[in-house]
Amino acid sequence: MKRRNLFTRGLVKENAVLVLMIGLCPALAVSGTVRDAFGMGLAATFVLLFSNIIISIMRKKIPNEVRIPVFILIISTFVTIIDYVMQAFQPDLYRALGIFVPLIVVNCMILGRAEAFAYKNSVIDSILDGLGVGLGFTLALTVMGAIREILGNGTFLGMAILGEGFKESPVIFMILPPGAFLVIGVLKALINKYVKKETQ
Amino acid sequence: MTSTKNMVLTLLIVAIVCSVVLSFVYSYTEPRIAETQAQLTLGGLKQVINAQEFVEIIPDTLWNAVDSSGILTGIVFRVFPQGYGGPIPITVGLDLNGKITGVRIASAAEGLKETPGLGVKITEPEFKDQFIDKCAPEAQLKSDGGEIDAITAATISSRAVCNGIKNGIETYLNYLETPIDKRCVFSDAREFVEIIKDTLWYALKDADTIGIVFVGFTQGYLDCIEFMVGVGTDAKISGVEILYSSETEGIGEAIREKEFLDKFKEGSAEAITGATVSSQVLIDAIEEYITRYKEYLK
Amino acid sequence: MKNPALIFLGAFLINNIVLMRFLGLCPFFGVSTAVETATGMGMAVIFVMTLASWITWIVFNVVLLPLNLVFLRTAVFILTIASLVQLVEMFLKKYYRTLYNAMGIYLPLITTNCAILGITFLNIDNKFNFLNATVFAIGTGIGFMVVMITFAAIRERLDLAPINPSLKGYPISFIAAGLMALAFLGFSGLFGLM
Repeated sequence: MKRRNLFTRGLVKENAVLVLMIGLCPALAVSGTVRDAFGMGLAATFVLLFSNIIISIMRKKIPNEVRIPVFILIISTFVTIIDYVMQAFQPDLYRALGIFVPLIVVNCMILGRAEAFAYKNSVIDSILDGLGVGLGFTLALTVMGAIREILGNGTFLGMAILGEGFKESPVIFMILPPGAFLVIGVLKALINKYVKKETQ
Repeated sequence: MTSTKNMVLTLLIVAIVCSVVLSFVYSYTEPRIAETQAQLTLGGLKQVINAQEFVEIIPDTLWNAVDSSGILTGIVFRVFPQGYGGPIPITVGLDLNGKITGVRIASAAEGLKETPGLGVKITEPEFKDQFIDKCAPEAQLKSDGGEIDAITAATISSRAVCNGIKNGIETYLNYLETPIDKRCVFSDAREFVEIIKDTLWYALKDADTIGIVFVGFTQGYLDCIEFMVGVGTDAKISGVEILYSSETEGIGEAIREKEFLDKFKEGSAEAITGATVSSQVLIDAIEEYITRYKEYLK
Repeated sequence: MKNPALIFLGAFLINNIVLMRFLGLCPFFGVSTAVETATGMGMAVIFVMTLASWITWIVFNVVLLPLNLVFLRTAVFILTIASLVQLVEMFLKKYYRTLYNAMGIYLPLITTNCAILGITFLNIDNKFNFLNATVFAIGTGIGFMVVMITFAAIRERLDLAPINPSLKGYPISFIAAGLMALAFLGFSGLFGLM
């Protein structure tokens, strides 16, 4: 029971982007299409998961005073790994995500989970926590990506789903920066409303 | 309270392990990345010209396109004119006659910064394929005297592409290595000194400059006309040769005839009846070029 | 676009770091609740951004590149920035107390500010020389500060306005930021027109 909560907590109730409001930069920057949003989500989840695992394994051996630099070293190693692997095997996605791939290293949610959880908990728990938070992040990004791609381009994963007519002149605004702000603002407003209902 | 030794040791070990892991990952992925990159470039080049192989002349900027026996069939060059939102990466293929064989413009995913939905339409065949089979003067917007239709509401992007391509052709045209014998147009000269690469020369005899020879382009009735002209220091034409033309057979092509070209030497060149456009255009262009290069005649 | 003046303009307005490049959003939303705090954070960012640009540029071009260690770029840069911020904080605390009180509290937040790391990457990707990198960093920092102060002013007003409870706080801020981004989008054609 407790274990399942670890996983679902990051997924919905403490969703990084929509509830805790961290990891905003990639959320807004790469959520123009579903493919980019999902790709970024998975990349960040990879880094979060494996950083959590390594830090959790090593937690008794890392002196408290130097824990932050050690976390940064470990996280940046995994970020560099996903950077080069994506460059080699998914060059299109890599080009689309641009500098936001190496910028995963300063995604507050990764350092945050390392500090708040992986450093103090078992490996299994850290895996569940990492997966939960990471997939929650991916979920938030993908939802934004879907909204922006469907309205702003008339497609979902590149396939036209609102008809060719819409594809000719979609709401371009949605793919541009202002659209990103608008979508997350409205999403957050909806979440506020929903969460309010819950506490009542 | 951990000892300083412990702290430093941990940091050092972690740093070393991380660096080692990363160098492994790097050496494993690097060849794959380089290969993908090379494939991508080659794919881009093949899209603009039909050729077996490409020989890089200027790194990342100019390639010779050669066939299976190594003979030059054209060139490919890249230009980056400033568009509406940033530089536009354009790859252009040129055949031996200086005509465009294909145009490729990088997409938004590859870094194109033009306006989505408007400026990015330059990447679509409807726009960019207009350039195929055109030469430099034709590669301009209709409103600028050329033959290209701009994209509605995206004139700046369209114009940037045209100017970029035209300037690119003029810059790299000389790499097409069309052999030109300048003595055809300046029989008195013994030596030629290049002033502008493959475009303008001093004609010398016994170490004295006796005139100039230049190569020029103009738009004829059907197609481009490339010509070479020799001019003496007295501003009299010593000879005219047509290097390339593709006007109407039997009519416009008459500009190639000795009878017509010789008239330039006498200063009495006039339009050919029935082929007024081709001939007049040539006469006007030659006059214009002479004015352009007048300063070299002193 | 190698002209320093154009680079400055580009960094400041045309490709504004927050509203067009989406970097520095966390502090942008977190610290822009009042004009005073926004100014403090802005100054700290300009300072750290320039310093970090200098050091990472030197480290990259003098150490990593010649030694073929480019793949260590991410790790080295973030560690450099983290150490730099730590050093600056200690230095200010000891020697410039007043300055420290004004902007020192924001310094730890800056380490995870993706704008700083982002700019250091962009300096390399754009192949800037030292002067251009400096101009780019300063221009970006000023662009960040200007937008933050403007936004803070707007938010101070928003706090007093009657807004639907679901929209209060983050949602209306995002929408306001979206409108600002829309305005800045107008600058994007500036290069083509110049």
